[in-house]
Amino acid sequence: MTEALSIENLSVAFGGIRAVDGVSFVVRRNAITTVIGPNGAGKSTLFNLISGQFRPHAGRVMLDGVDRTGAPPHLMQRAGLGRSFQITNLFFDLTVFENLQLAAQRLDPPHQMLRPISRSTIGLRRVGELVERFGLEAKLGELAGALSHGEQRRLEIAVALAAKPSVLLLDEPTQGMSHGDTADTAKLIRKLGREVTILLIEHDIGLVMDISDHIVVMHQGRKLAEGSPAEVRADPAVRTAYFGDAA
Amino acid sequence: MLSPSHLPLSATLRHDRSGLLMRASHVLVVVFVVAALVFAALGAALGDTFFLRLATEALILGGFALSVDILLGYTGLLSLGHALYFGFGAYVSALMLKQTPSFWLAMGVVLVAAAAFGFLTGLIANRVRGVYFALVTFGLAQVFAKVVYNTRALGASDGMIGIPIVPIELGVVTVMSNAPVAFFLFTLGFVTMLYAVSAYLLDTSFGRVLGALRANENRVPFLGYSTHRARLAIYVFASVVAALSGALYPMLRGFVSPELMFFAASGNAVITVVIGGVGTLVGALYGSVILTVLKSVIGTMTEHHLIVVGLIFMAVVIFLPKGLMGFVRPRVARLLDGGGR
Repeated sequence: MTEALSIENLSVAFGGIRAVDGVSFVVRRNAITTVIGPNGAGKSTLFNLISGQFRPHAGRVMLDGVDRTGAPPHLMQRAGLGRSFQITNLFFDLTVFENLQLAAQRLDPPHQMLRPISRSTIGLRRVGELVERFGLEAKLGELAGALSHGEQRRLEIAVALAAKPSVLLLDEPTQGMSHGDTADTAKLIRKLGREVTILLIEHDIGLVMDISDHIVVMHQGRKLAEGSPAEVRADPAVRTAYFGDAA
Repeated sequence: MLSPSHLPLSATLRHDRSGLLMRASHVLVVVFVVAALVFAALGAALGDTFFLRLATEALILGGFALSVDILLGYTGLLSLGHALYFGFGAYVSALMLKQTPSFWLAMGVVLVAAAAFGFLTGLIANRVRGVYFALVTFGLAQVFAKVVYNTRALGASDGMIGIPIVPIELGVVTVMSNAPVAFFLFTLGFVTMLYAVSAYLLDTSFGRVLGALRANENRVPFLGYSTHRARLAIYVFASVVAALSGALYPMLRGFVSPELMFFAASGNAVITVVIGGVGTLVGALYGSVILTVLKSVIGTMTEHHLIVVGLIFMAVVIFLPKGLMGFVRPRVARLLDGGGR
């Protein structure tokens, strides 16, 4: 079986600065892989390269064994990639229902594009599933912009998951969350990790060590180390660069 | 695996705000049509010609404003040159009718030609967004208007006169374009059809992608849609709606002139939509009637009627920022929502 996502020697530079520099790693199917690293390490740029926002200058992105390097975002989505954003990126003027419906209607057959959305049975059924799973029943009719920050972050994940991607990229899903919400989100992601391949960016080290199957450490655009949580924690180079530990 | 959903589809659909508001628009269109029919009956009883023809013009301009609202209100695209397509339809229609006064042939040619023209110019306009889109559409319209203005074969600055009276065969009846009541009713039916087709399209999955473009364009590609393609498709559709409305213009007035493509015409359509209510679709029709009546009534009192129109426009923007239908429609929607429970 091919790997869900494999990144080979990926590089991009902006104005001479190598934001991502020869990074390679493999994301195992139905597991949680987390990218960590200090601010400016190139984590979000890496996500943007994978999801098609930026075109890499070198290297390859393989999704489900197919070379998708340089494909634009909408084609990456159709190839099975879903992503959330570090800064909440929803349709704030639309209701929670409409946000989910928009993301889920891609599951319908192509001719649904020119039929009323009340006929979008597959999409609407998917909305029903997501609403229950993410506990948004009571919020369906509210504008996404009127939700609390924690609810918006949850909706952000639900929208990314709506079209049943094979690989889900989550960019700091707990950003700005309270402790309670963070714990709930960790639980949610761990559950999701059993049915969809997850590549995660996260700053909360406790959470990362807790839910990750595999960790990739980035530093100044390069991959510093990778391995299981225990291996990464023990790596002297990681301790120096990331934990600021002199040991 | 996800557990099977217990929420019935109808329960989730109740929170489809766009769908609910669109149903409210339908109600308001019915009100509009009923009022128009009453008006037509009155006009027929009193043997009026002037007001019926004025109202017919308001409907034609309403169809044009409809296309501007599809772009501005539903997709978030401000075109300052959309009169180009209205004028295009008017000129193609006039040229066709001077050859053979066949209504359906003229409309068919306008439909196909406007789609092709909208596609080609849309490729240019949709390379840019926001203010640049407004400027490019403005520029496109200026360029073509000047070309028409200087082309002798198209009547140059004088335009084309002497468009023959057209018989419109509708199966059981034939409407003559110079019959005030009949042509008014025909135009009412035609513009209502343009509304119905547009409303249908905006309520499809494709239509919802347009709403997403307006709400947050950056997020749309990650839902699996090419923003460029969606924008181009709706641009072509809006061009066709504008051109089909424009095609009726020479039938009513018997002439076309390059002014139909000028900025004033494009600007008027935007003002119409703002007064009627951006993103309500039905507001374009109400706005057009209001603006046409105002211009005509004030026009009989002073030739500086644009000053008054400008003041009214400012007043609407300040005191009724969502326009007339933007104010009325949510109230209708609330009634519908309550009634559906």
